[in-house]
Amino acid sequence: MTRADYCIVLFAALLLPYLYISQWTGDEAGINATIMNGSETTEVSLAHDHTLEIDGALGTSIIKIKDGKIRFAASPCRGKQCIHSGWLEHAGEFAACLPNRISIAVLGEEPRFDSIIF
Amino acid sequence: MKPRWLNLLLIATLGLTACSEAPPQVHRAKLFTLGTLVDVSVLHQDEAVAQQAVTIVETELATINRQWHAWHDSPLTLINQQLAQGETVTIDSATHHFIQQAQTLATNSDQLFNPTIGSLVEQWGFHSDERPDGAPPAKERIDAALKQAPSMANITLTATTLTSNNPAVQFDFGAFGKGYAIDRAVEQLKRAGIKNAIVNAGGDLRAIGSKGGRPWRIGVRHPTEAGVIASIEIDGDESIFTSGNYERFFDFDGRRYHHIIDPRNGYPANDAISVTVIHHNAATADAAATALFIAGTTQWPQIAKQMGIDEVMLIGNDLTIYMTRKMAQRIRLEIDDAQIKIIGNET
Amino acid sequence: MSGQPNNASERKTGITIKTTQEDHLIAWLAALAIAIHIIESVLPSPLPGVKPGLANVITIAVFILYGWRTAVWVTMLRVLVGSILIGTFLSPTFMLSFSGAVASLIVLWLASRLPGEGPGPIGLCLIAAMAHMSGQFYTAYLLFIPHDGLFKLLPLLMTAAVVFGIISGIIVRSMLQHLEKRKNDTTAQQNEQEK
Repeated sequence: MTRADYCIVLFAALLLPYLYISQWTGDEAGINATIMNGSETTEVSLAHDHTLEIDGALGTSIIKIKDGKIRFAASPCRGKQCIHSGWLEHAGEFAACLPNRISIAVLGEEPRFDSIIF
Repeated sequence: MKPRWLNLLLIATLGLTACSEAPPQVHRAKLFTLGTLVDVSVLHQDEAVAQQAVTIVETELATINRQWHAWHDSPLTLINQQLAQGETVTIDSATHHFIQQAQTLATNSDQLFNPTIGSLVEQWGFHSDERPDGAPPAKERIDAALKQAPSMANITLTATTLTSNNPAVQFDFGAFGKGYAIDRAVEQLKRAGIKNAIVNAGGDLRAIGSKGGRPWRIGVRHPTEAGVIASIEIDGDESIFTSGNYERFFDFDGRRYHHIIDPRNGYPANDAISVTVIHHNAATADAAATALFIAGTTQWPQIAKQMGIDEVMLIGNDLTIYMTRKMAQRIRLEIDDAQIKIIGNET
Repeated sequence: MSGQPNNASERKTGITIKTTQEDHLIAWLAALAIAIHIIESVLPSPLPGVKPGLANVITIAVFILYGWRTAVWVTMLRVLVGSILIGTFLSPTFMLSFSGAVASLIVLWLASRLPGEGPGPIGLCLIAAMAHMSGQFYTAYLLFIPHDGLFKLLPLLMTAAVVFGIISGIIVRSMLQHLEKRKNDTTAQQNEQEK
């Protein structure tokens, strides 16, 4: 074995764990969601449980993040459709409070659908 | 041999990072317009072009929204005032085109798509951005409104004028304007050289082209539960519209009242949960989804035929899925144990 | 080894005889490579057409013994004749072995350019196997299954490539030792005959 051999073996030994980590753990650890307020978009991680208060056009919407899921917990709108949308966890899922102009959407590598109709 | 070329090839083949860069990317943007959330997807390798495309869509949709808004002050509310006073309205060619298309659709739908019942819709309280939970209108008031029987048949249209022989005609293009706006936006996109895009306005869409090598995959949300009930692939240029009783509604005394008013009895149509329609033209799909929703489980095949719609899925109150044969051939149901009825015997 | 005056002329004659032997050897190695290629084609794989690249054994051996140019010939012969024999010529399977072969040849070319001692059989087999797998994988992704989910398979496939790369490296090493011994024996025989 030459020095170059060792270099190649080392390279392979480093590449494999990198591949496993980058390809197999991305989904569990790194799920993000976007919160759109008016025309402003912010990205949040769903990895840590927390609660966000966001001031929209009408008032304050409360958005909860728990166990890798996100939902509207409270909203100043009347219909509360955003709250009825419940927990979102899969890539591409999405809920909006139109009166308050706030929407949340779960990001992902490739959502199953390019667009959802309802 | 060019070493730079080789280096590139080496990087590509060894592929240390998994993120490959397949050239054309889908750019997505969300806009609040048309009283809803509009989701624009544009497939293009140049992000600047894609952003430009989003602006085109936004401008076009906002223009139509301003023009045809049924309860904010708009050229349409002005037309409604003039019609109520029996005046002849002077119109431009764009307005002519819009109303003519709506009139044809109304006629073909046996007036089930009736964009002249604005006052009825207003009585139901849906002429507001958010309808407060409160009592539905009294039966006498609904009956009074019905007796005036406004319809598109009352409208006489020339190239430059619009008249009505029924002062009760109050336009509300809620079941058509969105489709029309999407058609216009897509037209502008095509003119700008965009070949692959989706314009989804609050759950109704028109898609053109494909997602670079594979069709656009569209999910149809389940009308009563979380998740998706079916999926449809689009490759080319098609619109999918859904009308459902869950879109706009209010609750009163434990009952739910939604926004799709049956022009025959003045009450929310109650013989379906949702109707999904595929048609090339978004405005047609929009009006048809509403008309077929009102038509309900028994009448829809007839109305669909008259409107030239051959891809329909109607979900009844008992969750039975009614489909045309053509729809059944292309839709993929994402749920188990569905009760399915396929209508139409052409093979 | 060296130093004796008549040794140089002996070596010279040894080389002339070895030239025909080299031709035989290349033909023999190409045939062997094709055989391995065909055997490999029936092995199961999570991604059809993607193989560990054991046929690389021959490519590497030829590369070490006769240089890059010859390795290209033997490898291309293997891919073409092998696919014609299996009946996959110009099919996706062929595209995959072809792209894998091209990728590993490129890496070998770069290895031959390295300053200093350069990698031995194990390093060469390993890096060639990984290049082979990457080439196949990207071809599969770009041409046949452009779905990101495919990348979930990459760590497994690359692990297989590393394992098989090292195994073929060991095979090549012992093969070379064997050939070296045989060559020495033959040279000794020649020497005997000349006397």
